[in-house]
Amino acid sequence: MPWTDKIYARSPDYVSREVAGEFILVPIRRRLNEVASLYVLNETGAALWRRIDGKRSAREVIADFSEQFDVTSEQIEKDFDALVEDLLSIKAIAEASPCRND
Amino acid sequence: MIEHKELAALPERFPLACQWEITCRCNLRCVMCYTDCFNRPDLIRNELSTSEILRIMDELAAAGCLDLVLTGGEPLARPDFFDIYERAKENGFLTTLFTNGTLITETVADRLAALPPHRIEISLHGLTEHTFEEITERRGSFQRCMRAIDLLVDRSLAVVLKTTAMTVNHDEILAIKRFANGLGSVQYRLGEDLRPTLDGSSAPQRLALSESARLRLMQDDPDLWAEACRQQSQDPKPCESGKRRFHIDAYGGLQLCSGNRQMSYDLRTGTFEEGFYHALPSFPCAWKIETPMSLARPRANHV
Repeated sequence: MPWTDKIYARSPDYVSREVAGEFILVPIRRRLNEVASLYVLNETGAALWRRIDGKRSAREVIADFSEQFDVTSEQIEKDFDALVEDLLSIKAIAEASPCRND
Repeated sequence: MIEHKELAALPERFPLACQWEITCRCNLRCVMCYTDCFNRPDLIRNELSTSEILRIMDELAAAGCLDLVLTGGEPLARPDFFDIYERAKENGFLTTLFTNGTLITETVADRLAALPPHRIEISLHGLTEHTFEEITERRGSFQRCMRAIDLLVDRSLAVVLKTTAMTVNHDEILAIKRFANGLGSVQYRLGEDLRPTLDGSSAPQRLALSESARLRLMQDDPDLWAEACRQQSQDPKPCESGKRRFHIDAYGGLQLCSGNRQMSYDLRTGTFEEGFYHALPSFPCAWKIETPMSLARPRANHV
């Protein structure tokens, strides 16, 4: 399955905050033996993070973003791919199962 | 995405770090405590309610506050402690807890482990029951405190042990430090100096170490000595309290810091934004010198 068909959900282990104009992710369940860091997202990353909802596929998130910000899907797909990789590596998001109503 | 241990760009005045004395109630009666004079039912009744604390906390979060220390008194003595603590975590504060440890049972430790605090600082006054309880004036408190340390360490929580150096415990301080170091992940530091009680009594000062005794204590330990030398070698900086740090007392008074309560802004009746940006800059502080901001970057978390 192409990665853009995948659906991602935000982890409840992270809280997003806006601090002095910066958009940060704060891990709220870290233990001593885990890295104590904050994660700062740029404006594009923050806008994409807000759209990750466990319902829409990556393709739909990209389409929604490109429509609102008047950029091409190709431009944003590369950024979103990198962001997803980063967020998966720190377990801030996880792949979600598609909801089926049929 | 960028990984940070600190935030780089902050305005000169920004409410980054809050120390919040959420109660003066406490189950111990420590002889040097500066808040215990307010540990009385008539005054406790006037402390902030749960809903007032949660409302103010939400205002702090909206203003961008990131570091939050919950202290007392003994914060766990509030029956609504976990309502407060869990809201702090849900709001994304880097939440540190200052506690005497004696109310930390297995159940409490499990709840803390479910939403780990940024750091838990426990006051370990002595390494013998006699010394510890001579200070706390409560039998059984030593064993409960030691048990709490075990419970928290077992759960891989970030624990700092600290001791206020006094005439009654200075013979045990290096042993406490060795004990902390022996626990592996646990850090140790000396606690704050003694200060007058909130009702103005200087009684705690009678327990103060002489300068020479304090010097000997430092010299007997390479880490303490290195830290003392480091502090001596630094130029004193103007006080930054009120610029990026502030204090809230148990009654909702917003103040420059816990050591300077000359003036308060009432968060019960006013907003945090108004208090921090308009009232606090006018509060007096003998250590505040008008100088350009330091270029040092403030830590967003204290690991």
